[in-house]
Amino acid sequence: MGLAMRISLLPSAALVVAACAGHRAGVPAVPPMAMGSAAFPAADSATASHLLNRLAFGPRPGDIAHVEAVGIGGWLDEQLDPARIPDSAGEAALAPYGEALRDPTDLLHDFAPAPPTQLDSADRRRMQIGLRDLAQDVMMSALARHVASDRQLLEVMTDFWTNHFNVFLQKGADRFLTADFVERAIRPNALGRFEDLLVATAEHPAMLIYLDNAESVAPGSRPPARGRAFAFGSGRPRFAPMFPTPAARAAAARAPTGINENYGRELLELHTLGVDGGYTQQDVIEVARIFTGWSISHPRAMGPGHYGFQYNAWAHDDGAKEVLGVRYDGGGMKEGLRLLHFLAESPATARHLSHELCARFVADEPPDGCVDAAVAAWQATHGDIRAVLRAIVSSPDFWAPENRHAHFKTPLEFVASAVRAVGGDPDTTVRLLGALRQLGELPFMRLTPDGYPETAAFWMNSGAILTRMNLALALASGRLPGVASDLDTLIPLTDDREALVRRVNAAVLGGQASDRTLETIRQQIADLPNPRNARAMAVALALGSPDFQKE
Amino acid sequence: MIRRTDHRLSRRVFMKAGALSLVSFGFDPLFLGRAAYAQRVPGQSASSKVLVCIFQRGAVDGLSMVVPCFEPWYYRERRRIVVPRPGSGPEAALDLDGRFGLHPRLAALKPLWDAGHLAVVHAVGSPDPSRSHFDAQDFMETGTPGVKTTPDGWLNRCLLHDREHRETPFRGVAMGPQLPRALQGSAPALAVANLQAFGIRAPQGPVRDRLTAAFEALWAGQESGVVAGTAAESFEAVRMLKTANPTQYQPANGADYPPSPFGRSLLEVAQLIKADLGMEIAFVDVGGWDTHVNQGDGGSGQLAGRLSDFAQSLAAFAQDLGDKLSDVVVLTMSEFGRTVTENGTAGTDHGHATSMFVLGGAVRGGRVAGRWPGLSPEQRYQRRDLAVTTDFRDLFAEVVARHLGIQQLDAVFPGYTPGPDRFPGVIA
Repeated sequence: MGLAMRISLLPSAALVVAACAGHRAGVPAVPPMAMGSAAFPAADSATASHLLNRLAFGPRPGDIAHVEAVGIGGWLDEQLDPARIPDSAGEAALAPYGEALRDPTDLLHDFAPAPPTQLDSADRRRMQIGLRDLAQDVMMSALARHVASDRQLLEVMTDFWTNHFNVFLQKGADRFLTADFVERAIRPNALGRFEDLLVATAEHPAMLIYLDNAESVAPGSRPPARGRAFAFGSGRPRFAPMFPTPAARAAAARAPTGINENYGRELLELHTLGVDGGYTQQDVIEVARIFTGWSISHPRAMGPGHYGFQYNAWAHDDGAKEVLGVRYDGGGMKEGLRLLHFLAESPATARHLSHELCARFVADEPPDGCVDAAVAAWQATHGDIRAVLRAIVSSPDFWAPENRHAHFKTPLEFVASAVRAVGGDPDTTVRLLGALRQLGELPFMRLTPDGYPETAAFWMNSGAILTRMNLALALASGRLPGVASDLDTLIPLTDDREALVRRVNAAVLGGQASDRTLETIRQQIADLPNPRNARAMAVALALGSPDFQKE
Repeated sequence: MIRRTDHRLSRRVFMKAGALSLVSFGFDPLFLGRAAYAQRVPGQSASSKVLVCIFQRGAVDGLSMVVPCFEPWYYRERRRIVVPRPGSGPEAALDLDGRFGLHPRLAALKPLWDAGHLAVVHAVGSPDPSRSHFDAQDFMETGTPGVKTTPDGWLNRCLLHDREHRETPFRGVAMGPQLPRALQGSAPALAVANLQAFGIRAPQGPVRDRLTAAFEALWAGQESGVVAGTAAESFEAVRMLKTANPTQYQPANGADYPPSPFGRSLLEVAQLIKADLGMEIAFVDVGGWDTHVNQGDGGSGQLAGRLSDFAQSLAAFAQDLGDKLSDVVVLTMSEFGRTVTENGTAGTDHGHATSMFVLGGAVRGGRVAGRWPGLSPEQRYQRRDLAVTTDFRDLFAEVVARHLGIQQLDAVFPGYTPGPDRFPGVIA
């Protein structure tokens, strides 16, 4: 396997060398592949519902009718060009969380004006509360947009890539950097080229901190005296004092003296080639050497906008390296970009990512047909994400009956789709986050770099089913202010029980409810004389039904 | 007492079904089997043996938890993250047996060692060379190193060994929002994120009962397959918890659990054990061991804080259980260890063997089991990591054989035949 992979990778490596200098400007953007509408089935409530369940966070009231009007291909064209979709709803939902999206340097200055050790206990407590509120705002800003934005495919892909390039909100300065990571590294590239996404994440301070590359240096390298304070925030004086303070000794003990393999390994295993991508432990070490010097500028000493990427030439290992048969003979930061280009162009990456996309959009164990179609589109367009998405949705596997209503929603998909189904906006309390916490999928809180799994095997268990029923009850009975208020227009109060059941099926379950679910709802509302109670029960059962757990 | 008359047959039948049963969403022949599980026969006595598995996710540095104080290479390779020799100060290793020393932040476990309730297995790990967290965790949880297609976890297969006897949804419980790979499979297992909030929530009892019945009716018989079985187990568990009423729980014997997620999980495990709901296997995850940076020494750094919480929680658990500890074995595990040599950022990178703890009344404690491979470069795995001298399956097999009484080890660890001659000898 390893040997075969190396051989197959070699030809593309030769192209890399020529192309690397202008890797961003030089390659023209590939337009979305023109596809005949014949590749898609006719839009009816069933196909529209399937499309919106997979490529959006579920249908909002009116969405199914819209897809029926513009067709499957028409909707996809719209969504693949999100800048042309007016999105006042998304902007309004984001408004309460403007704080979270401010410049990371400003956030640092405002929320952590001094190291905790320099604060008294009251100030430290205030700081902790502030940081907690900030973290909640960062999470809510993501959830609010997933629910409200009309650029739904962009939201879905932003979530997909954020999870693929996972960072952890609670690791050090990533408290201030994670929202910026999503806004500057992920979202602008979520429907663009994979290589741009890869470079943007590699250079973003949130990733450099999360996978420790910011501190990885060539063995024996020493920062120039002037730069030390900025390089690691150690506050080291320009000249070593004769009797260093304990703090200075501690800082010296922490100063990096060599490489750290963390980013190098996860770059190959998770971000690009995949764990079976044919690399060795020695390749991991060589990759880590190539990325020595990719670090961050320390913000305390600088103004806004300076919480950024910084390449430290002094920390770079300029010796000869070899990764998967390709030599790197020094070249500073450029050899890192060369390597990223090589990885982005690798067939192993195309297959790994195509499989991951199909696992999200088609089935937990995706059929070969859609994966092959995605790989072909990937290779033909050098990783144009829009082309790959078109190929997946055009694939017969996407529409096959066995893959419809067959994917168990992740907690995020369940919560977002439930709020959308009842035409609600996320309220600004933290209750929806509470539900996500209990279900185990708080945004940006996956500690490990693999991101949250997508599979039913991971998410479906006894406790989780009960938690979903409880959220269904809360939504239906108006215990989430701001969400249930729309029920009156969506499902008007009525004494006609059969009309109520029909309305709930159409509004909440896209008209796709099973007979068994409809029958149970009928039975359970039969003895509830109050129309308000009957509606709450019917909506709760619909949202808490097996039908709604699937997409 | 466990009836053993016909467990072979039922196990065989069930394993056959298990092989087909990757948790799928549609049709699943196991539905009937799973529904049958969810009927507890009142008054049926259950075996009181409990195995508590603790997974230290992220690859804990076994050399820091249990330090080889006799190894010059340990002190040579670790300058900035060294745990000082025993007797050299308050942040020094705590001598265990004249050779190995416990990390000072694990001090809460020392009384258990002294009382003979705690054993260590050192240089234990997987024969598979992967340094990927995720592959290595998978291999340790499926119990099949190197095989990625195993559909179920080894703890789930333990639950199949005599399925007639524990007809309770609480037989296998994971504390947390997800079922770990080790407990996934055809035997039912519960994930409990919060014991107090397990069930349909409504302010008044009658409303709660009505809503519970409505949701139960909605899911019952609706789906064939694991979904329906899972829902049936949920409602059965809710009923049993209501009867057992564990919400009024007070730890016994002055046990003081740290207010951490791990401490809270162990408190709930103790609750479930004392509530006598038939729990045979509990599983708790504890993370934060991937110490690539600022791992720290005996007194400070990333590892010290995690180890304090780890040891204090376990010590509180043992104290809380009191005499019940005689029926309980706690087994800790981690996907691999870390490099012998510290890295360039005062941490350690992914390695190979690590150390694991075995704690409980039936444990042959006070000893470090397993052959020590040595730490010189040529003694290391790939000249880099602590070599594996005990296959983790030998340790796990000993615990399930001698503590849970499972005889058919080849069913729990397919493709492998652990036997008494390979057991590290940690269970009496």
